[in-house]
Amino acid sequence: MFLGMTQVDQFESIFRSALTDTYEYALPEVDSVLLVTDRNEKNVQDYLKDIQKFLSVLGTSVTWSVLNADDYKTTQDLLDRVDQENPDIICSYRNLKSKDWVFKHSLGSYLDVLIQRAKSPVLVLPHPDADYVHDHAMENTNKVMAITNHLSNDHQLINYALRFTQSNGSVFLSHIEDQMTFDRYVDIISKISAIDTDEAKEKISEQLLKEPAAYIESCKQTLLDNNSPVTVENIVMFGHHLSEYKKLVLDHKIDLLVMNAKDHDQLAMHGMAYPLAVELRQVPLLML
Amino acid sequence: MDAEHIETAQHAVTTVTPSITALFGIILTLMIVSLAAEEKLHAKKSVIVGVFAIISLLLGSFLGIIPIGAVTVPGGHHIDMPVYIPGIDWKVIAIIVGSSVFVDVTSKSGLFTWIAIVLTKASKGDPVKLLWSYGLMTVIFSAVLNNVTAMIIVGSLTVVSLGKLGRSHQLLHFLLIEGLLTNIGGLLTLISSVPNIIVGGAAGISFVAFFIKAAPFVVVATAATIFMGAKMFKISALKTEEEKQEAVQLIAGFNENDGIESRAFFWFSTAMLIAFILTIATTSILPVVKDLGMGFVALAFATIMLIRYKAEADKFYKAVDWDLIGFFMGLFVVINVMEHAHVLDAIGKAVQFMIGEGETSFGAGVLLISSAVFSSVTDNIPLAAMLAKILVSLGTATDSTLWWSVVFGANLGGNLTPIGSASTLVAVTIMHKHKVPLSFAGFVVKALPFAIMQITLATIYVLVF
Repeated sequence: MFLGMTQVDQFESIFRSALTDTYEYALPEVDSVLLVTDRNEKNVQDYLKDIQKFLSVLGTSVTWSVLNADDYKTTQDLLDRVDQENPDIICSYRNLKSKDWVFKHSLGSYLDVLIQRAKSPVLVLPHPDADYVHDHAMENTNKVMAITNHLSNDHQLINYALRFTQSNGSVFLSHIEDQMTFDRYVDIISKISAIDTDEAKEKISEQLLKEPAAYIESCKQTLLDNNSPVTVENIVMFGHHLSEYKKLVLDHKIDLLVMNAKDHDQLAMHGMAYPLAVELRQVPLLML
Repeated sequence: MDAEHIETAQHAVTTVTPSITALFGIILTLMIVSLAAEEKLHAKKSVIVGVFAIISLLLGSFLGIIPIGAVTVPGGHHIDMPVYIPGIDWKVIAIIVGSSVFVDVTSKSGLFTWIAIVLTKASKGDPVKLLWSYGLMTVIFSAVLNNVTAMIIVGSLTVVSLGKLGRSHQLLHFLLIEGLLTNIGGLLTLISSVPNIIVGGAAGISFVAFFIKAAPFVVVATAATIFMGAKMFKISALKTEEEKQEAVQLIAGFNENDGIESRAFFWFSTAMLIAFILTIATTSILPVVKDLGMGFVALAFATIMLIRYKAEADKFYKAVDWDLIGFFMGLFVVINVMEHAHVLDAIGKAVQFMIGEGETSFGAGVLLISSAVFSSVTDNIPLAAMLAKILVSLGTATDSTLWWSVVFGANLGGNLTPIGSASTLVAVTIMHKHKVPLSFAGFVVKALPFAIMQITLATIYVLVF
């Protein structure tokens, strides 16, 4: 029986499509937490208690330490102290040692550098004096959302999200494909006569959503196999990143957002992390 | 229609002089040389042969050596049709077109990819088990589908799975072994390759008889090729438990159900494929069907499969290799003219001189080896078509060893060079696509030990059994 040469690529595509990434379950150990504040030792204790209550999911055996305003004078000082402490997680908030936290336009130089340079993930909390914190935020971590524009194979992101989700809580695994970028490519495809635009649009959008959906399914299965008490919810869709995430946080009353922030290819923060960190000020963010 | 039986001259045919035979002999030689230089000419086979068919017809008509006029069909009716129509073997064309469409629609069910992925997972990512799995799959797919399709399916899967396992450095050797195995698998059944169809049809060998004769050789040659490949290219099994576990985890990412859109269609296609093979195998004994032939069976099964895609059936017609069909039609026209120009008689005499009078072991061996050498440098289809006509004209019996010499030689000769068969060419193309190129000389150096082993085995097999 006979088929043509042109089908080499067709069959390669079929096999590539059948090969999906599978989630690897390996929760990170969190034994020490470092709280970095711009307050003095006297009035930091109540704040520390609030955070310990919020992060009760970490358990009682965690070692807590605090860096106050007097412990560092420059960004380099702060990085040196963090290196010395070598915590598993750093907790802090925006615009340290600055009154600029009232403006919703930056993270402040300390936090900016900390997120990019420190080896440990940084938990960015709403500013202690801010009045815009969501009602449900800072109470517990019952609902945690992992956000990315490329979910497949991001085991670390999901493992951190799971580690911070309380028993019987829910972890929302979200993948939002940028609608504007997709529309731009479809527009280009529509100008190429050799490609059927409608078919290309349908097939590409299907495949873009299929991969993260399959990966989330593998997460669900792995958690079932490991008797995890956490429920996995999946959100895979097209949309505009910022507005969709803002809406999802509100709709689902998310307690903690987990996202990638470090980008080894550049000095600046990972593409989507900075705008999200600037704008999503109402809930805590764990930035890896 | 069989051109030999229905074609009758409606006007006096000019006496064919030796100079006319020589002239057409030169045309035939030029066509074969052009086919061998297909890549250099950047021309498809159908175009090359089409040009020579036009030249042959024009010259044959001008010299008055081809019969022009009505032809007589069974029942005694006369039909006016151009001389080049009855010259074509429409049984073969029907098998190729029907099978192409049938396979393409069946593949949409995800059946072939399901089999391929299940076998991949069964190997647990171990290189040696993977080589045996893919080797056996290549042979079976070559036998049931065809060599090119088998190479496309198994070669594509090899690229993806070795990439996932981090073993892309072994891609070239896997593809080479698979390419060589396609030509062994192509020997298994009467419809596995075009030379089988032509020679088997001319000799009157049934599907079952062909299978019984070819199967033992295919089993031995497959095992020997895979074993030799693993040794020569140092493809060894995973040693540590850690390596084995990692490979299992990586290969577990394959989902064999991914390509199955409809479970019902999947099972329907499976049942139809089994029914197709059984019907083809028993065509010669099935009442009514035996009169209509294998071409009818292939076209009928293709039509039944198309019912599911009735609104978009035209898409599947693209799967037909129109270059092969055009090549075939042109080739049979050329051979038909060559017959009238007595070129085939002259070649037949040369072949008879080469193999000696009657049927001898020496003759059968020489025919097998020379067929293999000829097939290694040019297309094996013209060779099979010419030799089939010549053996018929020599009155060769159905059970003669000479038929098998042509079948084994024409198929296995494809393993001597990358241009010797379409499937090895596909293997080399996949290598180039994935940046593991193999030159013509590089292919010959690597493939020669395998080809020598296979041709030696085949010669012994044909002569002894």
